Amino acid sequence: MRKSKRFTLLATVAALGVLAAACGSSTKSSSTNAGATTTAAAASSNVTAGLAFDTGGRGDGTFNDSAGRGLDQAVSQLGVKKIELDAVKDEDRKSNLLLLVQQKANPIIGVGFLFGDPMLPIAKANPNTTFAIIDSVVDAPNVRSLVFAENEGSFLVGAAAALKSKTGHIGFIGGQEVDLIKKFEAGYIAGAKAVNPSIKIESKYLGPAGDNSAWGNVAGAKEIAKGWYDAGADVIYTAAGGSGAGTIQAAVEAGKWAIGVDSDQYLLAKPDEQKHILTSMLKHVDVAVFQTFKAVADGDTKGGIITFDLKTDGVGYATSGGYLDDVKAKLEAYKADIISGKIVVPTKP
Amino acid sequence: MIETLAPQAPEGFVDHWTSRIRNLPKSQRVMLAILAGLTGMAIARELANANDLTSSGTVAATLRLSAPLICAGLAALWAERVGIVNIGIEGMMILGTWFGAFGAWKYGPWIGLLLGILGGMVGGLVHALATVRFNVDHVISGVAINILAAGATRFLSDQVFTPAGGSVSQSPPQQSAIQSIDLPFITGGRLFGWRSPDLTGWFERRHWFLISDIASVIRGVGREVSFATLIVLALVPLSAWILWRTRFGLRLRSSGEAPFAASSLGVNIPRLRYQGMAVSGALAGLGGAFLSVVASNGYREGQTGGQGFIGLATTIFGNWRPTGVLSGAILFGFATALRLRDVKNVPALFLVMAIALAVVGLLALRKRHIVVGVVAIVCAILAAVGFATINEIPQSLTFITPHVITLIVLATATQRLRPPAFAGRPYREGESH
Repeated sequence: MRKSKRFTLLATVAALGVLAAACGSSTKSSSTNAGATTTAAAASSNVTAGLAFDTGGRGDGTFNDSAGRGLDQAVSQLGVKKIELDAVKDEDRKSNLLLLVQQKANPIIGVGFLFGDPMLPIAKANPNTTFAIIDSVVDAPNVRSLVFAENEGSFLVGAAAALKSKTGHIGFIGGQEVDLIKKFEAGYIAGAKAVNPSIKIESKYLGPAGDNSAWGNVAGAKEIAKGWYDAGADVIYTAAGGSGAGTIQAAVEAGKWAIGVDSDQYLLAKPDEQKHILTSMLKHVDVAVFQTFKAVADGDTKGGIITFDLKTDGVGYATSGGYLDDVKAKLEAYKADIISGKIVVPTKP
Repeated sequence: MIETLAPQAPEGFVDHWTSRIRNLPKSQRVMLAILAGLTGMAIARELANANDLTSSGTVAATLRLSAPLICAGLAALWAERVGIVNIGIEGMMILGTWFGAFGAWKYGPWIGLLLGILGGMVGGLVHALATVRFNVDHVISGVAINILAAGATRFLSDQVFTPAGGSVSQSPPQQSAIQSIDLPFITGGRLFGWRSPDLTGWFERRHWFLISDIASVIRGVGREVSFATLIVLALVPLSAWILWRTRFGLRLRSSGEAPFAASSLGVNIPRLRYQGMAVSGALAGLGGAFLSVVASNGYREGQTGGQGFIGLATTIFGNWRPTGVLSGAILFGFATALRLRDVKNVPALFLVMAIALAVVGLLALRKRHIVVGVVAIVCAILAAVGFATINEIPQSLTFITPHVITLIVLATATQRLRPPAFAGRPYREGESH
């Protein structure tokens, strides 16, 4: 008797666990936005846009938010239906892509380089669906690989940092130590050195490849930034997703500069933080997402590599707050040199 | 004990002093140990020219990084002392981060801490309900709480934060933070609006051997220190006092050592276990709330980053005692602070290790513990060679230094550990055997 009772309870606890896991990968289907969709969807409602966010999801203030804006724009301007899925843990990426395929979404966009491995077999198994991936290259005829020249954008904010630094001492904080983030670091260092060859540049990563806490480690980024500001640095650039909020807090406390990434973080910050956000390296993921949906809606379904760089305004720097007004002419000169090919920005530090 | 059995070495200078130190009261021995550690650090700082090794900034960062671990470690301590293995601390911390951030965003940081504590307490009581009332295996219940907490906070975020400018993975930012204080005269605090001199800061900038190091430790503890950090630190002696100096504490520990015997003397074991788990959950919740309210200004998914499990390790490391938990948490916090602040410090640590191991080895050799002595001295030489040859440790290695240091200490300390005798075993009222 007791044994069976105990078993029931165990089963209950296990069921609770399963329930919790199910709650975790919440599906935000188009039904929540049904009102908006149906009113605008008259023109081309046959396109269902599928977007699989990376861990972090909407509201991270940078990367995923930018992709979300592209999706919202496609919904309002093109009248596509949308299905968006959040990833809670690594394994969700594959199942979310499969879920989007099942729900007949086309095109399907994976937001983030970590979608690369799961996307390849799924894209090959569904040749009639157009896929797209951000920040990585997937070699299949029906996958559009949307890559950015982050090194070029980072070059410009690195130059801005060097031009605005009074101590000749600046820093870079990366998320995971992976090739993608090293591109940011390489560009930043090259830009700063172009202005001041003897500048002192600190550089540190929050975690090794595969350590997903590196994208949400606010306290860690804050400690790193505090240490460098203590040591005399006065501008720090952070390319670490949500962790960047820690650098901004440290900048406010120390009265120094922080540089944002991906989105214009000045626009999302509180007023006391805005005074310390020098600029942001803009990465127009929203443009890439919107263009993909638009292309498929217009009937262009083929794959290939599409690069978003300074020339196509896929990357750039933010001028909100007007802190760069005095050096803008120099930055524009560097920008012109990069576009013309006079300056070649490295991709590895 | 063993020393008395081993053949006595001839009475000499070293033996004289080691026996004198051994006979000192415990508080003075602790002070001596701290001083010895600081001296080692000071030597390493001078030789390796790594001034940040003992700077007040490093000390302050260590405190901030240790505080959540102290909470998690004390949570594990309370749970195991009452006889329940608490694998669910991570989940209770997650509840603490969420409710802490929610309270801080809606009503201010202090209410945030309070709500975080309550949130964690709910998690602790669920664990108690499962393990005490329904006799579920402690590990299974704990794992279920970790999963449940992660899912529940995500659901709650979507319901509460998303409409208010946050998202499923983060809360809207808080408008105010918990106050921090500076000590007047010692660390340049304000006294009736007048800025007093920063004595320790003056000493620290001189970089004098040992004097500056002591000054910077005091400065790190007393400068811009958050009230929340002070509360967390105060919980360590408070836990020790309650558990070892009160009747309630004695009964609570008896529940973890010999519940049947205690029950036969009229102690209400189930009630004690509910109480113990409520405290355990509350402590874990405070640790979580510290992360979201004090260490940063909002909830972010994955913010706990496994710190609940590290807290569990500090309890084992600390031999199920509050002071042990404190030292384990500070050790891990210090290693993390060094990694985050300046990588140059990490090779300097090799030097500290070499000095410490050489002392241990020489003392062991004097006592004719040949194997221990030789191994320690060989390790000391290896560490010294490491310091001399390595200029900069690759970053990918520094990521693991905190974990490696904890592992080494854990591996060397485990022989003398004694957990509560009945922790984790199933207990049913009136069924003694």
